[in-house]
Amino acid sequence: MLVTLVVPSAIICVYSVLTRGAYGGVERPFTFENFARMFDPLYGLIILRSFWIAGVATALCLVLGFPLALFIARAGARKNLFLALVILPFWTSFLIRIYAWMFLLRDTGLINTVLLGLHVVREPLPMLYNDGAVILGLVYGFLPFTVLPLYATLERLDKNLLEAAADLGSKPWDTLWRVTIPLSAPGIRAGAILVFVPCLGTYLTSDLLGGSKTILIGNLVQNQFTASRDWPFGAAASLALMAVAMGLLFAARRRGEELL
Amino acid sequence: MKRRTFLAGIAGTAACAHRPRLNVYNWSDYVAPDTISNFEREFGVAVRYGTYEGSAEMLAKVMSGNSGWDVIFPAAEFVPPMIELGLFAPLRHEKLGNLGALEAEFQRPRWDPGLQFTVPYMHGTTGIVFQKKLALTSWAGLWDARLSGKMTMLDDPLEVFAACLKKIGDSVNTGDPGQLRAAGQQAMTQKKLLRAYLNAEVRDQLVAGDVAVAQAWAVTAGQAIAAAPDKLAYAFPAEGFARYADNIAILRESSRADLAHDFINYLLRPEVAAKIVQATQTATANAEAWKLLPPAVRENPVLYPPAELLRRGEWFEPQTTASQKLRDRLWTEVKSSA
Amino acid sequence: MRKGLALYAVAAYAFLHLPLLILAVFSFNVSKFTQWQGFSLAWYRAAFTDRELLESAGNSLIIAAGATAIATIIGTLAAYALWKRASPWLAGAMYLSLVTPEIVTGVSLLALFQWSFRFLHLRLGMHTVILAHVAFCVAYVAVVVMARLRTFDPVLEEAALDLGATEFGAFRSVTLAYLAPAIAAAAMLAFTVSIDDYVITSLVAGVDSQTLPMVIYGLARRGVNPMLNAVSTVVVVGLGILVMISERLRSA
Repeated sequence: MLVTLVVPSAIICVYSVLTRGAYGGVERPFTFENFARMFDPLYGLIILRSFWIAGVATALCLVLGFPLALFIARAGARKNLFLALVILPFWTSFLIRIYAWMFLLRDTGLINTVLLGLHVVREPLPMLYNDGAVILGLVYGFLPFTVLPLYATLERLDKNLLEAAADLGSKPWDTLWRVTIPLSAPGIRAGAILVFVPCLGTYLTSDLLGGSKTILIGNLVQNQFTASRDWPFGAAASLALMAVAMGLLFAARRRGEELL
Repeated sequence: MKRRTFLAGIAGTAACAHRPRLNVYNWSDYVAPDTISNFEREFGVAVRYGTYEGSAEMLAKVMSGNSGWDVIFPAAEFVPPMIELGLFAPLRHEKLGNLGALEAEFQRPRWDPGLQFTVPYMHGTTGIVFQKKLALTSWAGLWDARLSGKMTMLDDPLEVFAACLKKIGDSVNTGDPGQLRAAGQQAMTQKKLLRAYLNAEVRDQLVAGDVAVAQAWAVTAGQAIAAAPDKLAYAFPAEGFARYADNIAILRESSRADLAHDFINYLLRPEVAAKIVQATQTATANAEAWKLLPPAVRENPVLYPPAELLRRGEWFEPQTTASQKLRDRLWTEVKSSA
Repeated sequence: MRKGLALYAVAAYAFLHLPLLILAVFSFNVSKFTQWQGFSLAWYRAAFTDRELLESAGNSLIIAAGATAIATIIGTLAAYALWKRASPWLAGAMYLSLVTPEIVTGVSLLALFQWSFRFLHLRLGMHTVILAHVAFCVAYVAVVVMARLRTFDPVLEEAALDLGATEFGAFRSVTLAYLAPAIAAAAMLAFTVSIDDYVITSLVAGVDSQTLPMVIYGLARRGVNPMLNAVSTVVVVGLGILVMISERLRSA
């Protein structure tokens, strides 16, 4: 397993310091130009955009996932059923789930057909091929990634603490804010990492729901390795992405804590 | 009914494993439904038929020199660089008896005068498909803010820059950095108004009405208009436009050159080419095939425009390395801009 | 608050499941557009007679089966090794593999393969896809098996050794038997992950290794196609059944 991780990374490292040939392919001279290019304000924009979209998607996943996780944790006997209902859509083909949203959001898709039919709008709403659609697709795809760790943490929460808070006169809403949420910090951290990093490198969602107009880091890397045939630059971008992923992973670890 | 076909399909695929094989990589929707199966039946071979949506996609796969494909369909502007890269196998004309059926113009094309490596297949122009009520006539119409969100351009740097260059009055083949940068600026301004960059995939969206205006190849336009004749129309932009031609070539890495030659010769047969034209709404480089077409197709203004109109079109020329580098850089910038 | 939560949960589940249900409903629609015009199985018929679709589905199954078999073995051994000797490198590599964006994994593997082809005279094909799938499935298997291992008492293995079993024998009759349901669940997980993969597969696939996700992607790019609705429904139902079996096994 180390082999399949280390060797490809090594090759990517080497490629990233080479230059692109006239029509593609890798050649000498060795150069750091590819990394320097990453600091070009143009790509800086892509990186910022990717962080922004990943950030919003992660925040939404956390906010939307927390009440659901709370519900399941308190659901008593049918916990496993509810949990399974969350996991089920997740494991059934990411690609198909993105397509489902394409089907719904298109100008001639279901949502617009209904809205037009009810005369709520006069022209179809442009819901596809923009940042909003991408974020929606990401949230839909990664919501279970926050529900599961949050549920795990909430389930292990010591009920006595909650009772103690109630005994001390705290109202349910206050208990939630001041006791439950802070105590679920490990779950929140795990969920955030599990959503943010893949969202940062997302490719399919921005490609299909963004109309290949929304270029995020994932699309940039993919583009360099296929249509643009600029492997060295793609390699540099890919390394940058890996570095961010690893950085976040280390930053979020606490001693003795298991992520999964 | 469906179960039998399903089982037959499985059996067929299994049987395929024992017949000689040919791997063909072509543009999507570029053959008639029975072209490949007829070839398989007549020559007793199994064809693996893959499709792609863009030249860049094809080139990326093929450049490694061991992609596994035998026959590909490069566009004219890619032929000189691919010859230089040594990607093609030389053609043996003695195996291509039907070469004489080609139009005079395509017997000695500028990108491969002796037809040493390629055989012209289908050609056309790049223009604008639009909803009839919009009455567009020029590239400038695709920068109209009122159509924001309902326009697409091709996902192809050559074509997008060609439209931009024509809009500002320059040649599509210019290598002048100033002109190229100006074209790049145009593209970036336009991007904000675009719905997406789509190649042939835009056809269904045009028919459905999701897209109102699209830069499209004549073949895609022909197919879209055939599906929605009262809604859509095609325009040859007033500022000028690009002409394209797709050619058949055999990859040097192929070990099945003989069979590949047979396939090319088969495609050159007038009846076969005529059938393809009628199924895919494209213009053929095959003069004998053109004679076999019904008048409705022969006089289709989208596919076979009058000669004076065609004169406004420009063929793409190979670019210098410097120009190519700048164009690639500009394209990445356009794609990456907000 | 209880009621509020319950209401919210209903809305959340609707959000999660409705899109797929709608997709399925419209796969039975006679017309291509989103107005209901009648019930029909025509799209399913079209899907099952499409040669390319069938072939790619076959490829996907073969790849998934092969990759699952290999990844399960490697993953189980890796989890066992990790459990016996907590190596931070191995654990780190495992988590990294899970969290690394697919595009990075795909691109690195592509570079690796193309580089090795200079010496090995091979080309991209089913074997490269299977290898790539093994590479990213191993981590999933390892995580599931690890979770189960944590509830395993090492004393049991020691007892077996004391009773005269060889090391391998102890592993086989005691540990492996205990892990069996987890290994089965992990295998199913690896299978579903492998069947669904698009990004990595599209980069390392060769001429003969077109997979179902690749065909689906091509169809999805071209816009809405009811045949795709039909294919999607079949895939979702199939994978759904697999996932349910897997969950049953995991909690066994």
